[in-house]
Amino acid sequence: MSHLREDDLILHYYGESADRAAVEAHLGACAPCRDSFAGLRADLAAVADDPAPDRGEDYGPRVWRALQPRLPSRTAGRRATAARWWAPAALAASLVAAFVLGRHFPTGPSPAPIPEQGRDRIFLVMVGDHLERSEMVLLEVVNAEGTGTVDVHSAQESAASLVSANRLFRMNARQAGEPGVASVLDELERVLIEVAHGPSQNGPEERAQLRRRIEGGDILFKVRVLGSRLRSKEKDMAVPGTAS
Amino acid sequence: MERMDGRDDDTETVARARAGDANAFRRLVERHSHNVFRLAYRMTRNEHDAEDVVQETFLRAYRSLHRFEERSHFGSWIYRITANCAYDSLRARERRQEVTEPVTTDAAADGPVARMPSREPAPDRLVFGGEVRRRVALAMGRMSALEKSAFTLRHLQGMSIEEIGRALDLDASAAKQSVFRAVRKVRDALGRDPGLRPTP
Repeated sequence: MSHLREDDLILHYYGESADRAAVEAHLGACAPCRDSFAGLRADLAAVADDPAPDRGEDYGPRVWRALQPRLPSRTAGRRATAARWWAPAALAASLVAAFVLGRHFPTGPSPAPIPEQGRDRIFLVMVGDHLERSEMVLLEVVNAEGTGTVDVHSAQESAASLVSANRLFRMNARQAGEPGVASVLDELERVLIEVAHGPSQNGPEERAQLRRRIEGGDILFKVRVLGSRLRSKEKDMAVPGTAS
Repeated sequence: MERMDGRDDDTETVARARAGDANAFRRLVERHSHNVFRLAYRMTRNEHDAEDVVQETFLRAYRSLHRFEERSHFGSWIYRITANCAYDSLRARERRQEVTEPVTTDAAADGPVARMPSREPAPDRLVFGGEVRRRVALAMGRMSALEKSAFTLRHLQGMSIEEIGRALDLDASAAKQSVFRAVRKVRDALGRDPGLRPTP
């Protein structure tokens, strides 16, 4: 009697045998194959599922808030200049700017639409500001001194507030084919999350560990370099005729 | 299989979203976010990556709404997109980590199962529960992005091999072979320690 192959048993286990009745008949008559199938079942039963972390009841609206600025206009069609990675978020930046202006000058005349290049500049300034604030938070953590525990609560709050913006910038960069920028932002986000979710009272050991994590990946250096590139780009855009 | 279909009111909401009603699309996002996240997390096993997958999934869905066939279930459709995005995420992670583990075909494992050692479960496996979990995690770590995706979708998500092929843009044969390779990796990881694999 020829025996069933392991692949046949795997398909049978998942209920995808081409001829289920034939496999069952064989298993009924063949002890070695029956043993093998029992072994397979036992092995696969060991692969259990990890429950996903609970997102909370407001998760749907949170997903929508993060998604909405990234949705392309359904009427405008796709722009040919998709390679500019900051473009979608630049639109968001102009909306933020319009909102802020509206709040401060609610009775004034309606502002004229912000030109595309102006939006790009606003966005570059926003990312530059984000990188500077991130750098300050990381420096605060790295430079925390003391022999006992140090309260890093304020740095944690700042880090938590930077994570969402970082995510938006990073995803735009990745989508527009800027892996270098996305990679730095990805690394930065992981560190920010680590700071935000760490203990608020850091002992010397925890501080040293976090410092090693930050300094080990050269994230501060990378953030500075990226910030410098963006500032330079923003200055170029300020001079007519030099914008890319 | 855990599914997200069965929501009768999706049909009308999808129709409105396709007509350009952003509010309708918002309702779909809010309604399906939890399930999309659960699948994304199940596949990536990483909260951070799963969140990215959720965003990417809805973005792709929004862009592809015109291709959605109205007679289909929106829940199943968004599931397929999620699986595809999660697979992309795993591949990106693979590239980032520069994992160069080759995908090998174990010829010996293709032979008759009668040649395999007996793998009867025994009570002592329970004692080694922690070790079993560790080894399963090790096996998952050794899988390629494709194997991990196909295996997770088949084993944990309950998708058929045909559905997996559609979700990952593969033919059914490639999806099937990926599941086979993944299962072998799990069994290899579990089979090396005699304490975990009692001999007959």
